[in-house]
Amino acid sequence: MSLYTVDTLLSLVLLSVLFAFGSSRVPALIKVMAFQGIVVSIIPFFITPDMETGAVIFTLVTLVIRGAVIPLSLHIAIKKVAIQREVSPIVGYHASLFCGLGLIVAATVISRYLNIPAISDSALLFPAAVSLLVTGMFLLMARRNAIAMVIGYIMLENGIYLTGTTFSTQARHIVEFGILLDVLAGVMIMAIILQNIKQTFDDVDTSLLRTLKE
Amino acid sequence: MVELVFVTPFVTGLLAFVLPRALSRQLLVFTGAVHLVLSLLLWKNSPRAFFAEYFAVTPEGLLSLLVISLLFFLISIYTTGYLTAHQLKSENVFTGFMLLFLSTMTMVTLSDHIMVLWIAIEATTLASAPLILTHGSGASLEATWKYVLICSVGIAMALLGSLFLTLSMELGGVTAALSFSALSPVAGHLDPVWLKAGFIFIVVGYGTKMGLAPMHTWLPDAHSEAPSPASALLSGVLLNCAYLGIFKTNKVMVAAGLGDFSGTILIVFGLLSIVAAATYILKQTEYKRMLAYSSIENMGIIALGTGIGGLGVYGAVICMIHHSLIKSSLFLSSGNILMGYKDRLIASTGQMAKKMPRTFVAFFAGFAGISGFPPFGIFIGELFIIMAAFRTGHYLAAVIFIFSLCVIFAGFAKQVMAICFDTPAGNGNTPTSDSREVSFKEPPGMVWPQYVLLLTSLILCFFIPDALYQTIVDAVHAIGGGLQ
Repeated sequence: MSLYTVDTLLSLVLLSVLFAFGSSRVPALIKVMAFQGIVVSIIPFFITPDMETGAVIFTLVTLVIRGAVIPLSLHIAIKKVAIQREVSPIVGYHASLFCGLGLIVAATVISRYLNIPAISDSALLFPAAVSLLVTGMFLLMARRNAIAMVIGYIMLENGIYLTGTTFSTQARHIVEFGILLDVLAGVMIMAIILQNIKQTFDDVDTSLLRTLKE
Repeated sequence: MVELVFVTPFVTGLLAFVLPRALSRQLLVFTGAVHLVLSLLLWKNSPRAFFAEYFAVTPEGLLSLLVISLLFFLISIYTTGYLTAHQLKSENVFTGFMLLFLSTMTMVTLSDHIMVLWIAIEATTLASAPLILTHGSGASLEATWKYVLICSVGIAMALLGSLFLTLSMELGGVTAALSFSALSPVAGHLDPVWLKAGFIFIVVGYGTKMGLAPMHTWLPDAHSEAPSPASALLSGVLLNCAYLGIFKTNKVMVAAGLGDFSGTILIVFGLLSIVAAATYILKQTEYKRMLAYSSIENMGIIALGTGIGGLGVYGAVICMIHHSLIKSSLFLSSGNILMGYKDRLIASTGQMAKKMPRTFVAFFAGFAGISGFPPFGIFIGELFIIMAAFRTGHYLAAVIFIFSLCVIFAGFAKQVMAICFDTPAGNGNTPTSDSREVSFKEPPGMVWPQYVLLLTSLILCFFIPDALYQTIVDAVHAIGGGLQ
């Protein structure tokens, strides 16, 4: 039963990936990112048979950080500096959407050729993880808005986390927690830099960051 | 005991945020000294870590640790002078993050667990970002932004690569601990396809941090915008830390019998970096960026040597040690030049031999060392790598390598001559000619750390202590290198 739940949740993640490709507004992107964060952090509840107390606590902490703390800190960052809310695409929205569709199809096809026992139960785990990863990369490369780039980084991280929960049964929670802390600190630092960029350049369009070259 | 080496600077780093300025400066030097003593104790005893699952004392880690420790101690002495001459607005933040940076780098050298290594390397990015932002100008903001974003994304790739390693363990039915030392003996059972995939991702990830082309774009910006003591740390030891990640993974690859595969990848990235550095160094107009490109070149050389194997690995480790010593001295000297001429452009400098004779000696000797002049160790390292390349039949790689070295030397020499001997352009007939007057007094504390670094490099060419030699041989042996 729980596998159906997992696949239902993951199909929603795939839809949200498409939404992220087509979205032009930063606040909408943050909501999508928060949703993905929540889903990837509750997946372990459904795929791990008997969870120990430590694992439950860790999963809850992940949920709070990925689903609430990170999105909220970005939200506050854009509130505080009233950042221009268009994501300034390098690749247009229609082309982006098309890329997103192609990505999901490619990820699903590839996953059928991989023979990984750990993820063979769920049809959508691998496609969802890869889609999240590539979406993050895409936002990093095809958007000039600095906040959209940070969101891209977080989606990339979410994708890696999803890959990690499905692959590695033996990673210790203390180690996973260290990784989570690093990501959190990284996002905090990025948010601080965002505010400084906004104050110095009066915008967050990264095409303004052009003084250093070669 | 082992953990103490990185816990100490972590605690003092937190202290430095709250202490008064003068005290936090002294704390910086004091921690540097304590750290050096602790590292030497590790050399002497090589004890077992308290959390043996996550940390271990390895030969390659010991080498990097000693370099970090020595460099940090000397740089901390320089920093005291630098901070006196250069009133920073947020000095406590600067000293605090210097110490946290030291702590995270030390953790990298002592990590044995694959994921803990990743955590430590990502932490070095986070601890060093505020150092680059110190001046708070638009350009330093841009440099920090690029640094944090490019390195974080790059290192995320390394995390994915590390996950692939765990997958290859699962598929191969290996139940060993997820640490480099536990994986090497059972590497033969790992699933080769996912191990290869993991290695590629790890090289791309840690290679970004190490400054391998084409992922090097953040490096010249970050190294030129950071205050000089921080640049010296970034260039001298941070790059080594990232290399350590690749080195350790390569060890597993060699143990799994995939040494040829990993070697080819490292050679390609190494040559790309050397060629990229040769292309860009010719047209640099700022001396700190020129030094940064030279770092990219040297990281390329190290990757190339590691990839070639055999004598090349030995050469690479020699290059790594000497590059750290010499490049950090060059960056410290560049701090003096910046204070003397108040400008980063090479065109605004000139006649340093006359105006700042003591810095000139350090800078020029450093230049001679880094471009591979015979009395310095880089020469020996490069010679070993070239010999290994010819022995193993990598003729094309050797030719590209030698050609790029010549180009880099020519470009570097031209700029250095301009800094040291030229009369600044437009000097004769403009009334502003006297504004070039250098008022910087060269306090001894800001000159002799460079001399000590260069002297250490010089001495190590003629006399390597037995313990050091044995450690290098042990480190190199694990990835199939040696003096034969």
